[in-house]
Amino acid sequence: MKVRFWGVRGSIPVPGRTTSRYGGNTSCVEVRPHGAAPIIIDAGTGLRRLGKALLEDGFGDGRGEASILISHTHWDHVQGLPFFSPLYRAGNRIQIFARQRDTHLEAVFSQQHGAPYFPVPLSAMQAEMSFHAITEGAELELGGARVTSTRLNHPWTALAYRIDADRTSVVYCSDTAPFTDLLLGTEFMVQPPALDRPLPPDIAAELARMRAAVVALAAGTDLLIYDTQFTHDEYRLRPHWGHSHPDDALAIARDARVRRLCLFHHAPLRSDDDNDAILARYRGIAAAAGDPFEVLSAYEGLELALGDGP
Amino acid sequence: MKIRFWGVRGSIPAPGPDTIRYGGNTACVSVHARAGGLVIIDMGTGLMHLGNALMAGPFGAGRGAATILLSHTHWDHIQGLGFFSPVFVAGNAFTVLGPGGSSDVLEDILEGQMDPNFSPLQTLKNFSARFDVHAIEPGAPRPAEGLTITAREHPHGSTTALAFRITEPADPATGAPERTFVYASDVGQPLAAGPDPAAVAFYRGADVLLHDATYRPADQATRRNRGFSSYEDAADAAVASGARRLVTFHYDQDYTDDDVDDLVASCRRALDARGGAAIDLVPAREGDELEI
Repeated sequence: MKVRFWGVRGSIPVPGRTTSRYGGNTSCVEVRPHGAAPIIIDAGTGLRRLGKALLEDGFGDGRGEASILISHTHWDHVQGLPFFSPLYRAGNRIQIFARQRDTHLEAVFSQQHGAPYFPVPLSAMQAEMSFHAITEGAELELGGARVTSTRLNHPWTALAYRIDADRTSVVYCSDTAPFTDLLLGTEFMVQPPALDRPLPPDIAAELARMRAAVVALAAGTDLLIYDTQFTHDEYRLRPHWGHSHPDDALAIARDARVRRLCLFHHAPLRSDDDNDAILARYRGIAAAAGDPFEVLSAYEGLELALGDGP
Repeated sequence: MKIRFWGVRGSIPAPGPDTIRYGGNTACVSVHARAGGLVIIDMGTGLMHLGNALMAGPFGAGRGAATILLSHTHWDHIQGLGFFSPVFVAGNAFTVLGPGGSSDVLEDILEGQMDPNFSPLQTLKNFSARFDVHAIEPGAPRPAEGLTITAREHPHGSTTALAFRITEPADPATGAPERTFVYASDVGQPLAAGPDPAAVAFYRGADVLLHDATYRPADQATRRNRGFSSYEDAADAAVASGARRLVTFHYDQDYTDDDVDDLVASCRRALDARGGAAIDLVPAREGDELEI
């Protein structure tokens, strides 16, 4: 199974000199089980370049099939979809999975393609598109791959996905806050809540349950991709934004006994040099703690071969 | 007035090592009037960086005000709004002037971007700054920020967009004459029709004409329905309207810096061949500033 990163950035695309090594495109990861159709996780702006690459691979003449798993529909996870070239070719089949919302899923994506915002309506896409609303904990079979999921701690919630195929696996955990300080839901918070106060027991229990489910989802995986938008200090200032930091990612990786941890969803203004320094620091921390996993930091174009298969 | 380019790219942000020199952020231009006022044109991803720069001044202390002109509401012209720091500072005040004929409809469209399915902000009402949205009446000059602003609607694919003519009055104290900046992005031309006489009249005599130059003609030919100009269309408009300077803008997302170099050199030749040898050609590049 191959995993390739096409977009690694959180919140908003950031072109420019200081972000060009890690890349400025928003979230998009391609998972390719051996000999199978691509499974794409999230449709940030990285999806545009992936779409162009797929045109050379069967999608150019309408023979392509792909599944897109959406963690949640915040802009940085869907804004590449209107620029995904395979949608403009008849014969391609694209199925999109996302958590069930109050709004019908297809209506959510139709709004993105609505006339005030984009010139081509969703209904004019020539590929065959299907939308599948899934619930937290859903399990799917895609080709030979098994997909499982669990809920994350993010405003209006997001889903983590695990993909098992070729006797290996990858887990995608973005976007999420740590499961320690507050339970994020539909409430808008203007100011960050006070931290370091005891949580109501029911909230603490729910967060503990969510964390245990994430650790169980990631148990023994060959690659855990984790939201580390913030540093620890940045998180303390904005705990209500629903993003985590490397200390939390390392703790989850340790508890889940993963083989590799990949830092992901970098903050928009995080420079390449800062990302280098964060990676070096947390490699040192993991080594000093005797952690058995390798720490990586996602960059555009990073491709990893997982498992011992072809 | 001082014009600064914060985003010069069309359709979708284009990060990468190949777009660093011209920049990959989507449309955003600032205009600082001599009298101190600020006009922002379009709210692509460049707006985030403009906002962060503004926070060092009165906007950081909640004492800033600006007028935002919106050419149209396609994503690449509004997608920076949720990341514009000054709207989260109480005391700042923004007036958006945009298309659509109805202020309520325009506000609903901008509200749709903040829909909780898409944005953690959930609604424009969560901005701390004042944020008033008004449809602008094309053809009616309107004072704002020490400048006079007139809008004109032009075709853009299956829809329309607004061009803006921004005039700064003469300054009797220094003898500086009246100056005019025209912003005309996302301009769709009917096939081989040449410049629209009404558009030429609107651009007439601009000190700086910023014009859509998304494509090389060969690429435009296969994508006519998208409603963008080629550098030849931009050169035609500049020559016909007697512009002093032409700014190329809204480069295709697939064009590398070398492609844009080539587009600009071709535009220079097109100006010269059309009798526009005296027109100064200034390619829009992120971070560059022009003084009129």
